[in-house]
Amino acid sequence: MNNFAELSAMLEALCSAKGVSGAENEAAAVASQMLEKYMPVSVDALGSVTGRKEGRGAHILLDAHLDQIGLIVTAVDEIGFLKFAKCGGADRRVLAAAEVTVHGKEKLFGAVISTPPHLAKPEEASKALPFDEMAIDIGMTKEEAEKLVSPGARVTFNGGYLRLMGNRIRSPSVDDRAGVAAVLRCLEILEEKNVDCNLSVMFSSQEETGGSGAQTASFAAQPDEAIAVDVSFASAPGVSSEKYASLGKGTMIGFAPSLDYKMSKTLETIANRENIPYQPEVMGGKTGTNCDEIQVSGKGIKTALLSVPIRNMHTAVEVCDLEDIENTARLMAEYIAERSKENA
Amino acid sequence: MLELIKELCTLSGISGREDSVRDYIIDKIKDFAEYSVDPLGNLLVFKKGKKPAKNKVMLDAHMDEVGMIVTAVTSEGFLKFAKVGGINSKVILGRSVKVGKKAVNGVIGIKPIHLVDKDKEDTIPSADELYIDIGAADKEEALSVVSPGDAVWFNSDFVEFGNGFVKAKALDDRVGCAVLIEMIRSELEYDAWFSFSVQEEIGTRGAQTAAFNIAPDYAIVVETTTAADISGVKDENRVCICGKGGAVSFMDRSTIYNKALFDRAFEIAKENNIVCQPKTVVAGGNDAGAIHKSRGGVKVLTVSVPCRYLHSPTCVIKYSDAEESFKLIKAMAEEFASC
Repeated sequence: MNNFAELSAMLEALCSAKGVSGAENEAAAVASQMLEKYMPVSVDALGSVTGRKEGRGAHILLDAHLDQIGLIVTAVDEIGFLKFAKCGGADRRVLAAAEVTVHGKEKLFGAVISTPPHLAKPEEASKALPFDEMAIDIGMTKEEAEKLVSPGARVTFNGGYLRLMGNRIRSPSVDDRAGVAAVLRCLEILEEKNVDCNLSVMFSSQEETGGSGAQTASFAAQPDEAIAVDVSFASAPGVSSEKYASLGKGTMIGFAPSLDYKMSKTLETIANRENIPYQPEVMGGKTGTNCDEIQVSGKGIKTALLSVPIRNMHTAVEVCDLEDIENTARLMAEYIAERSKENA
Repeated sequence: MLELIKELCTLSGISGREDSVRDYIIDKIKDFAEYSVDPLGNLLVFKKGKKPAKNKVMLDAHMDEVGMIVTAVTSEGFLKFAKVGGINSKVILGRSVKVGKKAVNGVIGIKPIHLVDKDKEDTIPSADELYIDIGAADKEEALSVVSPGDAVWFNSDFVEFGNGFVKAKALDDRVGCAVLIEMIRSELEYDAWFSFSVQEEIGTRGAQTAAFNIAPDYAIVVETTTAADISGVKDENRVCICGKGGAVSFMDRSTIYNKALFDRAFEIAKENNIVCQPKTVVAGGNDAGAIHKSRGGVKVLTVSVPCRYLHSPTCVIKYSDAEESFKLIKAMAEEFASC
């Protein structure tokens, strides 16, 4: 069985580099280095990593977002604990006693406070604290803390990259480093097959805070069409397998009024022809991904969405199956190869 | 002692599965004292001092930690579990764990916040909704590496941070174990008896038989206790404070302590320039609850290292408190042995 050792190593490197929305620098450096193998790369005004490779056929933009959800420090309180707001859609149900890294002048270990049982009223025992009642303990006094941390410092959730059974892995920031990995793996496949194609790539900033990065980078790229790769919901206890995808059962092809129906259908046809496992993901309006910004960027861009199913989205234990990333990359590569043979 | 704490916290030993902790401790003390293991698994140690003790003093720390136990495997390959010891679901959601003899990696999953109704966004799922995901494709694959009854413990490393703080799982009560090991390895004035006890977290089962077996006149329980010296908590609710030394108990939910012993601890601390503090809220309980009722009754004292976020994967202590507690406990053991 293919255990995807190289793909796993790439995803681990991507997940290990941190980049909360608006402060993607560390992740941008790692992703840039990987993208440079295939095309010239630059970082734009909003922090998105962009690359351009001219060639035959339709000009296709591939997108995956670079940023990850996290927290942002708002103040240091009188006993040296850090107050914070969420930066992206953090889930406060998983924050009690959570381990974090505060990206101050240096990286600092921190623990989000947890109310001791003797202080919790019975009705509070099963409720998560509001964000403004939580704080991060960095084991310092106010004076010590203020030397190293200022408001605006980003906070990431701890937890390294771990392999689970089979080809499944868990890490923070699988959303959307799995997408970045899929795009890079797609470029590798195209190179192996010597496909002459016309591509732009963007690893966009600020998706989790509203998609500003994708809106501006896709305006700059001016492609004929775009494929965004993000993550979506995989079934688990409490998450219906009828409504959502299954882990390890293939890439998710998005169908939605806001997505280009012809592109979605072409992806489906190619997947069937090439025996690439896939699962349809049908949405009733917009998609909640960068596609929503890319579609209406500039004069408008035909857009498709591929998603890697994950469990426990927006926690430190996001779980995905490497095989789904590989299948996403394969399908994208086949699509690009086909479009490279046609006139734009 | 910091290295001892680090190594002890890294070991897994939920209640009833203290074997690896006991083996580690035996290895550390076997050249310094006599020991035996009682039927429940308590490690009982006798250390000869320079002089025979006038009173028999027992020092107790528990080896077990809170965790979980696998109860069943679902048809989809997820593990259902029961909590072992008092754990609030809040502190285990979205956390990583290790399962069974093969230390299989797993995570405690949660329904993504995007799919939760607006009015439920702050609601912690009930205990019976919780499950562990080891990445198995189905039940058969899961059962090839785990079985019902397997122990589950937190995947949490040992971290030194801030100004002298330490984070780890199981500081409750491996810190106490480290203090006792350090004492056994040092030269003692008087003969002393020790119990590294099992099953404290499920109701002080081990200490009950350990105290019967040792039959002490006095006992000192070496523990950790809730430090609520955190953001947003008023002074009077803080229980004890990191950096102010061992917390000495006058009363908790299982014991009313001998007031003379409590007062004596503060006198001795003052005489020896040891930092200590009273535990200022009546809460919690520990092995003292079982020990003080043993046989015809035992006079007990509890000294606890203040610990933030107790019973979570993220326990936090200030290391200097462990050192100050060690000094106080050693001094009190001498005092009780000779009074």
